[in-house]
Amino acid sequence: MEHEKLIEEMTKIVGKENVLSSETDLLLYGYDASLFRGRPDCIVLPNSTEEVSKIVKFAHQSGIHVIGRGSGTNLSGGTIPTQGGIIIHFSRMNRILEIDIENQRVVVEPGVFTLALKNALARYGYVYQPDPASEKVSTFGGNFGENSGGPHCLKYGVTTNHILGAEVVLYNGDVIQVGGKTLDNPGYDLTGVLVGSEGTLGMATKLILRIMPKPEAVKTMLAIYNSLEDAGRTVSAIIGDGIVPATLEMLDKLTIKAVEESVHAGFPLDAEAVLLIELDGLKDGMERLAERIIEICKKNNAREVKAAKTEAERMQLWAGRKGAFGAIARLRPNYLVCDGTVPRTKLPEVLTKVMEVGKKYDLAIANVFHAGDGNLHPLILFDERNEEELRKVHLAGSEIMKLCADAGGTISGEHGIGTEKKKEMFFVFTPQDIGGMKKVKMAFDPEDVYNPGKVLPEVEKTPSA
Amino acid sequence: MSKMDKLFSKLKEIVGEANVIQDLDQLKGYTIDGKKPRFIVFPGKIEEVSRVVALANQQHLHIIPRGNGTKMEMGGIPKKMDILLSTRRLNRITDNDCENLTLSAECGITLNEVQKSLAKIGKGYFLPLDPPFTEKATLGGIIATNSSGPKRLLYGTARDLIIGTKSVFPNGDIVVSGGKTVKNVSGYDMCKLLIGSHGTLGVLCEMTFKLLPLPEKEATLMLSFAKLEDANGFAHQVRSSQLIPSAMEILNAKAIQHMRYSMTIHSDLNYMVAVALEGVTESIDRQIAEMKEMGKKYGVFDAMSLDSGKHLAFWNALRDFSLGLAEHYPNVVSLKSNFLISRCGEILRSYETITEESGTDCAYICHAGNGILYTYLLTGKSLKSKLDTIVELIGRLTTEAVKNEGNLVVESSPLSIKKKVDVWGQSRSDHLVVRRLKEQIDPAGIFNVGRFVGGI
Repeated sequence: MEHEKLIEEMTKIVGKENVLSSETDLLLYGYDASLFRGRPDCIVLPNSTEEVSKIVKFAHQSGIHVIGRGSGTNLSGGTIPTQGGIIIHFSRMNRILEIDIENQRVVVEPGVFTLALKNALARYGYVYQPDPASEKVSTFGGNFGENSGGPHCLKYGVTTNHILGAEVVLYNGDVIQVGGKTLDNPGYDLTGVLVGSEGTLGMATKLILRIMPKPEAVKTMLAIYNSLEDAGRTVSAIIGDGIVPATLEMLDKLTIKAVEESVHAGFPLDAEAVLLIELDGLKDGMERLAERIIEICKKNNAREVKAAKTEAERMQLWAGRKGAFGAIARLRPNYLVCDGTVPRTKLPEVLTKVMEVGKKYDLAIANVFHAGDGNLHPLILFDERNEEELRKVHLAGSEIMKLCADAGGTISGEHGIGTEKKKEMFFVFTPQDIGGMKKVKMAFDPEDVYNPGKVLPEVEKTPSA
Repeated sequence: MSKMDKLFSKLKEIVGEANVIQDLDQLKGYTIDGKKPRFIVFPGKIEEVSRVVALANQQHLHIIPRGNGTKMEMGGIPKKMDILLSTRRLNRITDNDCENLTLSAECGITLNEVQKSLAKIGKGYFLPLDPPFTEKATLGGIIATNSSGPKRLLYGTARDLIIGTKSVFPNGDIVVSGGKTVKNVSGYDMCKLLIGSHGTLGVLCEMTFKLLPLPEKEATLMLSFAKLEDANGFAHQVRSSQLIPSAMEILNAKAIQHMRYSMTIHSDLNYMVAVALEGVTESIDRQIAEMKEMGKKYGVFDAMSLDSGKHLAFWNALRDFSLGLAEHYPNVVSLKSNFLISRCGEILRSYETITEESGTDCAYICHAGNGILYTYLLTGKSLKSKLDTIVELIGRLTTEAVKNEGNLVVESSPLSIKKKVDVWGQSRSDHLVVRRLKEQIDPAGIFNVGRFVGGI
């Protein structure tokens, strides 16, 4: 289709000011937080389900692809328009439609920022538990598409455990409801299938979330180590001892350095690793559990364990964790975040191997991750203008995914497959497994309207696993 | 050799002679809604399941998977049943990694066996699911029907606990999803699709679950009330507090009377709220004290706490409620309704009124923190004269649930009722996609046909 005709049709649906197609716009919407680049045909900013439906219906009839996008914090190239198409940007659909405290549910549009909802809930004494590090700007549409995680997912589960229903625009513009405010609706759990499908199955225009009363008490501790492996062993030991804290996060030396230079969280610069441990729930017995954790830390050679005494101290520790990716970005022009996840017991051994990969390719690797979940985030630092370095980064990234898969883990815990990890899908899946997933894609989007070329690798071109 | 003889010998070739039943007398015990299978096969390995299914697919033979048969009456009347695939020989724990808080096991093992083995490891672990049929239910059956129990209030349901599945698709492919990491976004979450799919998409052969360490202490608090408004008011206050009960159930007098747990309860008291608590010792003691205090505000008559031994017996009797009932009421109709949590009191009141108007006794047990209600219609010995009344009653109860954003599923009933109602309640706008998923995954239409939502 001619570009002018497309713009004209989109303008009819959303108005001139909500269709973007300048060279600058096409460049800006061609990338996300990953290393990939693409070029959309245009960007459309709808304001209602009806408009989204019209856009998709038109795209379907005209054979144009559609890619949904929130704030573009995606780390695996999931929002890159690799085959062109219309980008639906949900920034205008950013209303919290309903805060239903009585039923412990919230209804939001996909463009609402995670933190904006949390702030709105605070005055009711309620929380939405998942807390992706990018929560200041990450949108619920994005959280839904990627099945986002975050530090508190150790105790409370990931996004999929907190999204109970959605209004979804199908590939042909039809609108359906999946799940709902109520539990156990009869039929297949389509909500569960859609969460984490990376925008390849349908476009959510409303989301129903579970919220819960804020925990009565919280206790945050920082354990300091002279060895990365000891910190890793502590994680396995705490879980193995039968304690499931709300969070169990790890930061290594390079990350500590970067964090201290930017946000001054009070992490000691000479430590090899720190663990950020948080308990929440009823206040009763919490001190006793905290003491048990301190004991386990010390037994695994922690040189010091500090507890936050005030809410301000607690916020300061968290600022260090949440600002970590941003802080690391100051060290080198680029980084690649790996997202390999392993059974928690394998953490110490896999961490050592990750650092060996860094040495092998002569690349600096910073680690800041959800240790309690076994969800690693090695950040490989580099400069993309250095082609040789870029080549090595991709090799190292793939090698890290392989060693996670070989340790009984997987290639992505919370960032998604997107464009980046498609060929590595065969590290964990057989062509039959992928074949099963393709049937799901065919059922939802038989004509490949949504986010083409993502998640699922071509089966034919790859040798049997 | 006839076609059936050929099939018999092929099945024997796959699973071994001793593991195929064709004997008519034996088949009788496996009747579903009056229909008998032609063969029962007992595969012992996932590869054997795959070969049996591939054979059936090729010859368009209808398959129905079965564990221990505790829930075979669920769902619509099967269209056809050639092969009943029993999972009883697939009964191994394949990976017991308590330190990682995960367990993988095959579908034919009972949950009870799994729990017993987990309790013995280290300080003790458990799989946080407490569905009905404690002694008999298998993991495969529990997950395929998305069966759950009172403790879902704290621990969630299968969708919150399963992190990996290995299943055999209708074309015979062995399809793996997820794994043994607690976070995993590699590919589509096929686990979610299979949970509660009632055997319509293939055979769930192996599953990986999240585990938890056994709580330090467990206890129960039972509070009796004269009025529904008070029982519900109490439950509402607990729900909106920061307390963390693991279960909270409202039972009516008929339910209390029929539960296989001996309780002495004052004749004026028509309702009981049973709260389960588990966690660190200090938190249990404090929550019991606080709830007793809360109860006073709602005119609680009696607040009794149970500890360890009695506590377990109580919750087992509660989850297995329907087992005891069938002995007294062979024609009992079991219904499961869902609705908005906040509408709990209104729903219970309207269900009482509607059943009373129709002259039908009913026992009910409500997950007061989840918006789930199990209603048991206690119909007499002869159903014939009451058939239309019961069908009409189910319709009215469904309308009430739908008004409150839920639905109603007939979980078990005599065949005569099944023939007259849609056991899955009102259809939903997502049915088109549900149907397309079935067509894509089971194009020949061989798996459990006619028994799930919309007759798929």
